[in-house]
Amino acid sequence: MIDSMSKAGLEAVYLANRDKLVRFLKARGAGDAAEDLVNELWFRVSTNRSGPIANPLSYLYRAANMLMIDRYRSTRQAELRDREWSRADENGQPLSLPSVDRIVEARQEAARVAAILEELGARREMVFRRSRIDGVPQRLIAEELGVSVSTVENDLRVACRVLADLKEQMR
Amino acid sequence: MTRSIDDDALEWAIRTGDPEFDDWDGFTSWLEADPAHPSQFEIASGVLEDAGRIVATLPLRHSAEPANDPKPGRRRFLQWSGGAVAAAILLGTGLSLWGARPQPYMIETAAGEVRTVALSDGSEIVVAGGSRLMLDRSKVRFAALEQGGALFVVKHDASAPFTVQAKGLSMTDLGTVFEVQLEKGSTRVAVSDGAVLVDPEGARLRLDPGQAVVASGAVLRREPAGEVGAWREGRLIFNDVTIGEVADALTRHLGIEVVASEAVASRPFSGTIDAAGVAKDPASLGPLLGVGVRTSDRRWVLQADR
Repeated sequence: MIDSMSKAGLEAVYLANRDKLVRFLKARGAGDAAEDLVNELWFRVSTNRSGPIANPLSYLYRAANMLMIDRYRSTRQAELRDREWSRADENGQPLSLPSVDRIVEARQEAARVAAILEELGARREMVFRRSRIDGVPQRLIAEELGVSVSTVENDLRVACRVLADLKEQMR
Repeated sequence: MTRSIDDDALEWAIRTGDPEFDDWDGFTSWLEADPAHPSQFEIASGVLEDAGRIVATLPLRHSAEPANDPKPGRRRFLQWSGGAVAAAILLGTGLSLWGARPQPYMIETAAGEVRTVALSDGSEIVVAGGSRLMLDRSKVRFAALEQGGALFVVKHDASAPFTVQAKGLSMTDLGTVFEVQLEKGSTRVAVSDGAVLVDPEGARLRLDPGQAVVASGAVLRREPAGEVGAWREGRLIFNDVTIGEVADALTRHLGIEVVASEAVASRPFSGTIDAAGVAKDPASLGPLLGVGVRTSDRRWVLQADR
């Protein structure tokens, strides 16, 4: 049964669960920034146009999770950028484009990932893509492919483990 | 070899990635159970995202299609068949697959980055540097280009045309390869293969291969397409733009800040710039554009020549 929520309704859920969300953000590692982040979360959610929300608390948790993911990504990108800027060519001029080795490295990485996908097989590749890239719920992927949800879960587990191991190896 | 990505952390990263995941209390408990868990989770989550990003750039193999897909679905860059036009105009902004609720997500590239996005229908979008493209999981045959440029390689489906919106200009493909580029005052659409219907509700301009249109305000001006998507090979082609626009394009493409001084910013320019050559030798921009080039640590300034 879909429980549709107006914006006022969503705000009520947010206010009633604000402490839980702060606790979640702290559990995720936000530390002292948790209070600011939950305010930012509400700002983003309330200015986002969207239709009825089936599960408002889950929606808020997910938004909080995404905020932490964005934060982590920004920090990592900043670190990568700093590393890039400290590289220089033989004349001491700062390098602004990826060097040839980086391009080759990226191509090699892509080739290894492609080889892994080949080994994983068509269905596991599809499950990974539908879930991780297209954001389709596992329940619906199972319907699409005509298999059980636990098959999809297993496929995803295997694919993610193998790809994660590869990415870690190449770091 | 030791596994540095913890099994539990990976499991949680997978589970929380599912849009229908609901056990936030359970997730919180696990995070709180050990001080190492939050960072293990972040690492697992980040690595999965990276892996996904790479997989998204790889082309979909024909064998990797759902078993119950009714259409044999070969990706085709063939000529579009005329009968599809009527259907294209009627169907408008694309199919909604998973229900009406929009699930938008943004593809944002840093300056100097080129990213290929594979869509679930088999289409591909190559997004140029410094660009923002909005997609929607509930509307597979739709994209909105908010900034920068992209090359669209659309899998033909006569029953569900692919619609691209670029700052108020709407266009519908009919099984094509075409490019959209947003500049400060104008939007350019160029077709390499197939056909595109620009402004299907209004002017209904049809572009065939080799044709392009520039939309500036309410005016649509036709011109030859030139080389579509040449920026993927590092060739930036300019047709009657200003030096200021060239500077912006170089910034997006190279990932280094290029600015034009007031004295030269509104001068016109037409020509081709080889981005890789210019990156190695910034001074070469000078004679090409008829300006002086002053390079410093992280930016280049195009100024009046002495």
